[in-house]
Amino acid sequence: MQVTFKDVTLSYDGKRDILKHLNFVIQEGSLVCLLGPSGGGKSTTLMLISGLLAPTHGQIYFGDTDVTKEDALGRKVGMVFQNYALYPHLTVQKNIEFPLKMAGLSRADRAKKAHELAALVHVDDQLDKKPGELSGGQQQRVAIARALAKEPSILLLDEPLSNLDARLRIEMREEIRRIQRETGVTTVFVTHDQDEAMHISDQIMVLHDGHIQQFSTPKTLYASPDNLFVAQFIGEPVINSVPASALSHDLAGVVSDDILSRAQTAGIRPEALTLPQRALDPLTTLHGKVIEFDQFGRESTAKLDYNDLQLISTEMGQLPHNTQELDFTLEKKGFFLFDADGKRIFGGDDHAE
Amino acid sequence: MKKAASVLRYVILTLGALIMILPFFWMLSTSLKTQPETVQIPPVWIPKQLQWGNYVEAFKAAPFARYFVNSVIVTTVTTVGQLFTSILAAFAFSKLHFWGRNLVFMIFLGTMMIPGEMLIIPNFVTLSNMHLVNTYGALILPWLASFFTVFTLRQTFNSVPDQTYYAAKIDGASDWRFLWHILVPMSKSTITAVTVLQVIGSWNAFMWPLIVTNDENMRTLPVGLQAFTTDAGTNYALLMAASTFVIIPMVIVYIFLQKYIIAGISNSGLKG
Repeated sequence: MQVTFKDVTLSYDGKRDILKHLNFVIQEGSLVCLLGPSGGGKSTTLMLISGLLAPTHGQIYFGDTDVTKEDALGRKVGMVFQNYALYPHLTVQKNIEFPLKMAGLSRADRAKKAHELAALVHVDDQLDKKPGELSGGQQQRVAIARALAKEPSILLLDEPLSNLDARLRIEMREEIRRIQRETGVTTVFVTHDQDEAMHISDQIMVLHDGHIQQFSTPKTLYASPDNLFVAQFIGEPVINSVPASALSHDLAGVVSDDILSRAQTAGIRPEALTLPQRALDPLTTLHGKVIEFDQFGRESTAKLDYNDLQLISTEMGQLPHNTQELDFTLEKKGFFLFDADGKRIFGGDDHAE
Repeated sequence: MKKAASVLRYVILTLGALIMILPFFWMLSTSLKTQPETVQIPPVWIPKQLQWGNYVEAFKAAPFARYFVNSVIVTTVTTVGQLFTSILAAFAFSKLHFWGRNLVFMIFLGTMMIPGEMLIIPNFVTLSNMHLVNTYGALILPWLASFFTVFTLRQTFNSVPDQTYYAAKIDGASDWRFLWHILVPMSKSTITAVTVLQVIGSWNAFMWPLIVTNDENMRTLPVGLQAFTTDAGTNYALLMAASTFVIIPMVIVYIFLQKYIIAGISNSGLKG
């Protein structure tokens, strides 16, 4: 189901807006991540899609239908919660059957459907157990099966992986992707983990301070961040951000004077700083000192001093030992300039979609 | 060292158990004594000859069958009614959001500070204005709401995450269904515990039934025990024999449900 927000605003107390004039369209059949730091409004947005919260202003459409006044049941959403919210006194099968029982399906139909869904999420050998006897990953699978039971118009997942350990988290995110592909259900996924979002989403909506910072594919988000917040939020290690004035001497002639005069902050991805002989699409050459160099396996991190600013590079693997000073290349890809409002005015590609 | 500590622990626990059991033993022992033995000094711990006849005599001394029926009716209706109102109220205080919820809750909480004895006279006046003195109504009505029970249940309901409530809503359950099919079963141990406490409290209630009933037919068991206290003194042997059969149902309830009583009092919710 395609989900459309038209100028949606939410305020809990009528004074402070948690979400401010949200406008977006989630395409049918896609997997969208709501990403952002806590308190940014991503869970609130999910609650608004679910119908558990009603917006203060604005309209929400499912397809062409205005569902602003409908509750969660009317919108036919399926939801998976961070703590799974399974019913501890019911068996796995009864848990999956619960929404079907509420919908008035016969016992036989319920059992048949529960078995199908349990097979889809790979818990068909656990049907008679209680949730307390299952591992976190298995509980998660049951919660997904229950959310899918009534063939929801849209599947909502609220930080579903944050209670799992690191290895299981990677396994489950692949599982969620697989299940989403197999069922084709439109899925909205809330997370604060950018790595998770980058790996499974068709599109990512970055939310901060009640605003959509950017809504695009993971690739675009990384290669062409709309603003400084997105540039800093996405990417590991974090993007180098330094005052643009420090670079103005080296950028003179490369970047137009008009842009340079407006630029406040420069963002440099750690992989955009390379050795001259490895450069692909150089913008300019910088000169600096090596403060620290670490190599572990295939990965290396170099801390460079440039005009008394510290820059991190992950592309200095070939650096000869005992190098103290060097010329290094600033690549075009991965270099951005932002104005005083944090808006990107240089770098990236505006037609990447 | 370790062994000494363990021995000490057993000694202390044994002493504690003995102190707890002593009144019960004394009751059983006295119930089988002759009249002079009950007041003899030094005390007779085990009667020379067990007077089983005391039980028959005690049972005949007053209409205990009638008292028993009254006690059962009052205890059952009070407990079921109070549980019902308390579950509804606790659910509202825990999961529903309405204007003034916290204020109302605070006021109710404040009523717990009022000693029960202080309410006896106002309650009596109210009920006598309603012409309910000497009826089951008088024995039951004041106890149909208990904020202590509401408070205990609310704490347990609060330990059930709101997500579970939302999940049930999304699954299509009404508040009513969520309450009885999800929340109540999830809180089984606490509900059992408050039920048992209420049953015991109701069964043993003395002051209130004594005040609002003077008709023989309306008396409950604890009040009926007064039959053995007359102007001429108290017949302790018969009183203790009657006391024994009054408490037997409660002992049985406790033996079967002690697991829940302990779990309910030390309970803290669910495994995540």
